[in-house]
Amino acid sequence: MQKEAAIREPLILGHKTYHDITEDVCRPIEDKAPKMWYTLFGIALIIGLYGVGCILYLLGTGIGVWGLNKTIGWAWDITNFVWWVGIGHAGTLISAVLLLFRQKWRMAINRSAEAMTIFAVFMAGLFPLIHMGRLWVGYWVLPLPNQFGSLWVNFNSPLLWDVFAISTYLSVSLVFWYIGLIPDFATIRDRAKKPLSKKMYSILSFGWSGRAKHWNRFELVSLVLAGLATPLVFSVHSIVSFDFATSVIPGWHTTIFPPYFVAGAVFSGFAMVQTLLLVMRKAMGLEAYIHTKHVEYMNIVIMVTGSIVGTAYITELFISWYSGVEYESYAFINRATGPYWWAYFSMMTCNVVSPQLMWIPKLRRSLMFTFFISIVVNIGMWFERYVIIVTSIHRDYIPAAWSMHFPSHIDIGVYIGTIGLFFVFFLLFARFFPVLALNEVKTILKGSGQSYKESPDYHKHH
Amino acid sequence: MTRKYWKGLEELKETPEFIKHKEQEFPNQQTVEEFLSDEKLAETSTARRDFLKFLGFSVAAATLAACEAPVTKVVPYVIKPENVTPGMPTWYTSTYYDGNSYASILVKTREARPIFVKGNKDFGFTKGGVNAQIVASVLGLYDSERLSSPTAGGTNASWSSIDKAISSAIQSAKSVTLLTNTIISPSVKRAIAEMSVSLNGENGSKFQHIQYDAVSYAGMREANLANFGARVIPSYDFSKAKTIVSVDADFLNTWLLATEFTGQYAATRNPDAAWMSKHIQFETVLSVTGSNADYRGMIKPSEQAAVLAYIIKGLGGNAGISAELNAAAKAIADEAIKALKKSKNESLVVSGSNNIGVQQLTNKLNDLLKAYGTTIDLANPVNLFQSEDAKVSKLVKDVVAGAGPDVLLMMDVNPAYTLPNGDAFAKGLKKIKTSVAISSYADETASLCSYVCPGFHALESWGDFEAKASEYALAQPTIRPLGEATASALESLLVWNGKAVRGGKDSSVAYDYIQATFAAKFPMADFAMAIHNSVMPQVLAPSTLVYADAKIATLPKSAEWEVSFYQKAGIGTGAHANNPWLQELPDPITKVTWDNYITMNPVEMTAKGFVTTYDQEHGLNLTTVKVNGKSVTLPVYPLPGQAPKTIGIALGYGRGANGEKIGKAAFQTKEYGGYELNEAGNRKPIGANVYAMVSNGATFEYAAAVTVGASEGVYPIAATQIHHTVMGRYSIVRETTLDIYQNNDRSAFNPPHTLQKLDEHGNHVEAPVSEFDLWDAHPIEKVGHRWGMSIDLSSCIGCGTCLIACQSENNVPVVGKDEVRRGREMHWLRIDRYFASDEEAAVGTRKDKETFSFDKAELAAENPKVLHMPMMCHHCNHAPCETVCPVAATTHSNEGLNQMAYNRCIGTRYCANNCPYKVRRFNWFNYPSYKKVTEVNPAQDDLGRMVLNPDVTVRTRGVMEKCSLCVQRIQSTKLVAKKEAREIVDGEFATACSDSCPTNAITVGDWNDLKSVIRTKSEATRAYQALEEVGVKPNVWYQVKVRNEKNDLLSKLQVEAHHGGNNKHH
Repeated sequence: MQKEAAIREPLILGHKTYHDITEDVCRPIEDKAPKMWYTLFGIALIIGLYGVGCILYLLGTGIGVWGLNKTIGWAWDITNFVWWVGIGHAGTLISAVLLLFRQKWRMAINRSAEAMTIFAVFMAGLFPLIHMGRLWVGYWVLPLPNQFGSLWVNFNSPLLWDVFAISTYLSVSLVFWYIGLIPDFATIRDRAKKPLSKKMYSILSFGWSGRAKHWNRFELVSLVLAGLATPLVFSVHSIVSFDFATSVIPGWHTTIFPPYFVAGAVFSGFAMVQTLLLVMRKAMGLEAYIHTKHVEYMNIVIMVTGSIVGTAYITELFISWYSGVEYESYAFINRATGPYWWAYFSMMTCNVVSPQLMWIPKLRRSLMFTFFISIVVNIGMWFERYVIIVTSIHRDYIPAAWSMHFPSHIDIGVYIGTIGLFFVFFLLFARFFPVLALNEVKTILKGSGQSYKESPDYHKHH
Repeated sequence: MTRKYWKGLEELKETPEFIKHKEQEFPNQQTVEEFLSDEKLAETSTARRDFLKFLGFSVAAATLAACEAPVTKVVPYVIKPENVTPGMPTWYTSTYYDGNSYASILVKTREARPIFVKGNKDFGFTKGGVNAQIVASVLGLYDSERLSSPTAGGTNASWSSIDKAISSAIQSAKSVTLLTNTIISPSVKRAIAEMSVSLNGENGSKFQHIQYDAVSYAGMREANLANFGARVIPSYDFSKAKTIVSVDADFLNTWLLATEFTGQYAATRNPDAAWMSKHIQFETVLSVTGSNADYRGMIKPSEQAAVLAYIIKGLGGNAGISAELNAAAKAIADEAIKALKKSKNESLVVSGSNNIGVQQLTNKLNDLLKAYGTTIDLANPVNLFQSEDAKVSKLVKDVVAGAGPDVLLMMDVNPAYTLPNGDAFAKGLKKIKTSVAISSYADETASLCSYVCPGFHALESWGDFEAKASEYALAQPTIRPLGEATASALESLLVWNGKAVRGGKDSSVAYDYIQATFAAKFPMADFAMAIHNSVMPQVLAPSTLVYADAKIATLPKSAEWEVSFYQKAGIGTGAHANNPWLQELPDPITKVTWDNYITMNPVEMTAKGFVTTYDQEHGLNLTTVKVNGKSVTLPVYPLPGQAPKTIGIALGYGRGANGEKIGKAAFQTKEYGGYELNEAGNRKPIGANVYAMVSNGATFEYAAAVTVGASEGVYPIAATQIHHTVMGRYSIVRETTLDIYQNNDRSAFNPPHTLQKLDEHGNHVEAPVSEFDLWDAHPIEKVGHRWGMSIDLSSCIGCGTCLIACQSENNVPVVGKDEVRRGREMHWLRIDRYFASDEEAAVGTRKDKETFSFDKAELAAENPKVLHMPMMCHHCNHAPCETVCPVAATTHSNEGLNQMAYNRCIGTRYCANNCPYKVRRFNWFNYPSYKKVTEVNPAQDDLGRMVLNPDVTVRTRGVMEKCSLCVQRIQSTKLVAKKEAREIVDGEFATACSDSCPTNAITVGDWNDLKSVIRTKSEATRAYQALEEVGVKPNVWYQVKVRNEKNDLLSKLQVEAHHGGNNKHH
């Protein structure tokens, strides 16, 4: 059992027993879904379907239904892609990196964070697909043996690296998440009364029997996967940043991008975790497991990564001047003072100023404030990508080709649609999957002795 | 000794294998029976079942593969026509004349259909000069709204009935008037003369012939009548003029014989030649010509006379009128006087005014400069533009009053559209007993006529021309007439006069008649040879005309605000308004497509409260202007260089205002396809017709007093360029003056870009960019070909001819106004136009690197210097587009080309983002079928599709495209050379753009050929590569723009401060 100093705040509040945990996690799955769930699911589904409709129209008509033009070949599509990939960073970081660092507080949040990661990566992966002019030949990005002679993919292209990075990340995250789910599925299976759900959960739990051997292997696999996933946390967003860093466009061609993107990804990922969990703990009665301490820890991560991001912004600005490169310096002058100054301003405010408020303990422990900041950070991070992508190419080298980007309603529809789809997936997850890693959480429950110590019986005898 | 033939290399080399099989006549072949009876066969791994599996799989795979593209059947020739080799182009010489432009041309046909028009560099006085309208004219041939049969009262009728009706109407009429555009055809003139003889007899007055041009030059002819006693327009030779002063004459674009003048002018603009001309322009609207001038003064139209008078005074003459000028124009006029004094009898002054008095002053000045006999040739008069404005006005007055002729024959004119009182004329036309239009379209005039007799398209018909006295030219048909029942206009005239019988579709009436005219003119000459060359020189008699002063006719009055009407490079007089290529041709100066507008100086627009910037979602303000009680509402365009208190509006727009069928592309279309309709349910015209505002005095005058209203809302503008300055970016454009260029070495006017590096001692040293490279070079140097291009910014006048030639050659889709507004025009070649800002000493050179303000640099100067920069794929040797494509759809050829495999492209657009020159174009929609472009893209029309070049793929949606350096032409050049077993000769390969450039600004060739022009140019001191420091190593070089001006600040910057190079201006 977990040994902890008596003065350290417990990670699970109240006097929960092992059975309580099982009950708390399984109840939402076994009970009927509340009306609220149906309402939310309905809204998310409608928005998601609208997005699907927009995507179908896009695929049927052509990329021209977006607001792109001869100068600006990427705008909302790749902005959304990078934004979702960034969000998809928190899960693996929480489960893998924090696991390696033995951060036990992660156990309350890792399951939902991982689910969020996977759904976010789904949404992210959608954009590189639909942004292609000819999706139907999109499989050409895979290095498949083919009948086109010796035609092979271009291994120099960062887009190809993206294909590998994202697909690897998605598969490892998925496996990691699923491995963690197996013992929990088994618990649900054992409690299930209806034959159909018993059957389903027994399939999902892969015949888990809870033997020591199983636990042993479980721990081992988790560790191995954590080891595998950790470099991925850094590689994915580094590679995404290469899409820009390896180009020749001022504002994109920046060596600082990999660490800056990774920090930004963690920053936005944690913000998204906050947004989701603050609602979920309330809605599903998990206040005892996810409480102020967790929120505070995550806020500290946000504060640290936000500071890294802020430093990166300032460094970029400084280097653009210091480099003495005409185009580079103009790119940044234009960002801050050009026609898209408002996007830069939003980015700076949301990403640099707002996380600094977390230095104040009162604020970082306030759930309402945290929820507000988590939304602000996600808006800011969307603008960061928009600023990088659009304000760099809208005015690059040749002034005669300078242009402006105006999103079409399809641009907006697809983006909003992915948010809808994301929530469709997440709500399904919350309804049918154990949202807490219940078997893992049990390991951080302070021993029954502790409960006894705090019980009236204990005091009576002393 | 008998010859020895080898069966193959094996025999020659006597390989052991060959010797082994030598005796065997047939190689060891098994028969099928033998093979099947082989017992070992059963033991092989491919058993029957496997075989069936493989078969099934292959069939399924083949079927699936076949699903990818629909099968299109090709029908081969049953009997192959002579001289048509499928896949091989046939070129025909011909001559282009549409009443406004004239040029000797070459027409390329493929499988017997014309697909490309270019200038004929070998024959004809235009020497290869063409304009955008001429190159685009091939598309007009395939317009599906062109009439295919004669009509009577709006319904199709047979030629026999119509001919009978018209002939009898002519015979029985009391008066017959033939209204034509300027006839330069000796044969048509002869036919008209015959008609005159048979109707008028000796001195009757029943028949009269009036010539009427949409844009009149009568002022010149009347002035010459006054000064020389003859209503002539002389030949001008710009190539001999060391000083050119143009007062509002856009002679590089639309004025008079611009196709000839551009080439002549360009010859004098070479800074490497013995001398370079000095060009001073005074004008109201910033024109193509004005944008190329060394000095440019802004004047009101009414100040033209004063400018001329001022210069006359400066040269010691006396014009007899006031020479008061605004201070800014005076300074430029002083420059003109200085230059003219220096180059006295090697000078030329031209005026674009149609005012007789202004032209008289021009004559006086030219006489003072002794230009007659040197730069002006009176012995070789120009026969174009013989419009007789007084006669036209009288006729129109009669028609309007209901007192017109009984029979009004109209040929290739559209008075209901081009007359100032076209509406009244249209009403009067209905009162005429018999009105006949020889016209290809049921246009504004023809649709109102009793009979419409469609003529041939220029590319379908025989023709002869005498544009100048010195040259007789021929046009030959390049395709069998496409219309079911169209007929040569010449034949119609002959038939109605009873001189010929209708010949039907393959009639030889016109041909025979033209041949007879030829035979009479040149009794000794071979007609076939004349057709081959397309021109015959004619002997000129020396001129007896002598200049004499005359009383200056009435000069234009000044007004507080004045308007100038001008022609745009694409639309001209409006005759080609249905040509989508020309509608989508960005105006050389404003870069606006698909519209006309009011041009006004942004300084004044700000004062009047009009917006001065625009983009996709922010249009320009509309306003109403009033001229002589007529008003028009158009958007106001911020045009720097527009003279203060003036506006300009282009003619030629507002065609088909009553829904006339003048061509699919002549009307406004909706955002998702289909036409915009007006209240009457007619298709809405593009822009507004301002012919109605032309002043009608002694001559038609293209300027007037105007009142400008207030802003009335916003109108979307489709422009290909929304940023107008180069922001002081010296590595993109370089400009110098002739003085600096001649007296300094390269480091002053064209310093190489350097970067800092460490030398072996650890010191910082400057090194040229070429020393820095992360990559291995492509193995293209010294091996095989390496295609390159050089563009001389000094020669490029920005006319846009190359752009249309490229569009025609490479099947570039037309996307329509809404898509251009969204920044999605598809042109592979664009011409970037930069205005200098007040922060720049010359375009791209910052005045002061320390105080340079980006905000101020975004705004063009009030009267800016202008620079035109053709921009297309640079075929970089280290192409950034190539590395980023995930599927290797864009790769480098071993001849230095950056090539695009459309079939492989999956459309990530990463290449376009990563292109520093932004020259890649993406197929946002399926342009050959998408509903939005149905009306405008010729590839969506059964007939229009015939203009497509079969050598170039029509791209599907979702793929990237860009300039291929006309790779299809490279391949065919190589094939021709290979067949003839020789190397490619320098100059043999030409891209569509270099081929059509009227000033030869574009040179292409094999850079690996050490003696090639391109190699020499790439090593010239003026050569630089745009954005060299990015390190992409392009195969395109630019030559520094040289202006023949005095620019002290630029001298100071380039000569005194060139140590350390120009890379310091960050």
